[in-house]
Amino acid sequence: MLNEERIILMTKMASYEQNEGRENVAIGRYFRSDYIGLQVLKSIFCATVAFAIIFALFVFYDFEIFMQDIYNMNLIEFAQTVLLYYGITVAGYGVISYILYSYRYSKAKKSLKCYYHNLKKLNSLYNE
Amino acid sequence: MTGLLEFREKLKLFYSKNEFFILPILKFLLAFLVLNTLNGQLGYMTQLDNIAIVLIVSLLCSFLPMGSIVLFAALFSLAHMYALSLEIAAIGLCVYLLLFLLFFRICHKEAIVAVLTPFLFVLQVPYIMPVAMGLLGTPASAISVSCGVVVYYLLLTVSGSASTISTMGAEEATAKLRLIIDGILGNQEMFVVIAAFAITVIVVYLIRRMAVDHCWTIAMIAGVMMNLVILLVGDLMYDLNISLLGAVVGEIAAVVVAKIIEFFRFCVDYSRTEKVQFEDDEYYYYVKAVPKMTVTAPSKTVKKINPQRRTGAAPGRTSAAGARTVSGQRTRNVTTERISTGQERTAQGAHRDEGRGQRPGTHRNDARTGRSVTINSNMTEENTDDYEELF
Repeated sequence: MLNEERIILMTKMASYEQNEGRENVAIGRYFRSDYIGLQVLKSIFCATVAFAIIFALFVFYDFEIFMQDIYNMNLIEFAQTVLLYYGITVAGYGVISYILYSYRYSKAKKSLKCYYHNLKKLNSLYNE
Repeated sequence: MTGLLEFREKLKLFYSKNEFFILPILKFLLAFLVLNTLNGQLGYMTQLDNIAIVLIVSLLCSFLPMGSIVLFAALFSLAHMYALSLEIAAIGLCVYLLLFLLFFRICHKEAIVAVLTPFLFVLQVPYIMPVAMGLLGTPASAISVSCGVVVYYLLLTVSGSASTISTMGAEEATAKLRLIIDGILGNQEMFVVIAAFAITVIVVYLIRRMAVDHCWTIAMIAGVMMNLVILLVGDLMYDLNISLLGAVVGEIAAVVVAKIIEFFRFCVDYSRTEKVQFEDDEYYYYVKAVPKMTVTAPSKTVKKINPQRRTGAAPGRTSAAGARTVSGQRTRNVTTERISTGQERTAQGAHRDEGRGQRPGTHRNDARTGRSVTINSNMTEENTDDYEELF
């Protein structure tokens, strides 16, 4: 005998699993600190690559002048300045990532809570 | 309004029935238009500026995920830049990589916006995008819209400097780099447009989330006004020569598109708003419920009922085209197909029933005696109990 309520619930849950739920289920497998830590690490890597690209463009923008100045400039001071900018970029992007992924994690957990509630409801419908 | 709502329901029904075909067709059209526009705007690589290649790539995009359109658009533009100069292609690659690493990582679902925004710029209606994304997206959509603006101005700078670059020799590599980087970073118009679009997205989003009546309409109008004001202030401050008439026409187009989006996404009846108040152990609830405007799509149901037959009628004699019974009585046709054997059997049964005496007035007997009935149900049920909760 077909149970209409059960079918509706299963359809909704299947739709959720295939669409927005897929990402949420993947997020839900992590502990909060693990997920956020991993995403922040990825962000730091991306920020490092992005900074390297910007630095390369900066160097090539005035390549001849840069090559002339490199023998006269204080290299340690220059490296400190570059590292300072790198630190600011990475820290800024890391903080933004931390806030964003914390929000995403809590949102996914809330969504999954609803999904698990429906799962329990479905189980109880089978036990009726 | 009911007609429009019926049309919407029909459209939804049509889409849900044929989604398997419609989605690839739409993706194909989008990819075709985008790649063709790219070829039209840049078109330095003559091998790519070929309708057959565009068609093949568009066909490929129609079966691949939406992100493939972004990827192919980026590859096409890089190939055109490479045909112009290796250094320009390197800068293009750097810009795309920066956008990918810093921004698309955060809002990867909206990467298509970075393709649609330059496309709308070419169509002279870019103002649609911030309003539409404010209505449909989140504040993070401001990032993807801004990325789209950057991509457009990069391509504009490349196409604007193409004649100068082509005259430069291979030894002037750094000069080419400088020309493009200065062209992008020194473009104040780009920064004004980015600021205007980002603020518009956020303003539209914030207003449309408010629990006030007609919030979507207020949001779109406030958004276009804000956009226009920022563009005009930017124009006055930096002397950008933004066309006022073009901006106003573009903003009107944005409102029209936004109204269409509203009709499909947020069609509610504020006249039947309900405000309810209740409590549980922990909270008091003040809920405002606004019913959605919906109608059921009109559907025609044709009921096939057997023609009246008398005893002795040869089975199968009754034809669909002007079913003529033995008694010579002509019945009305409702279908053009031949009535099946099972139905003929029912017809005979009906005759047996007739012999035993009819019980008129009952639905069952109507069917059994073979009356032809065509039911055209145009049930328009407006304002169902479907509510959009705002608060």
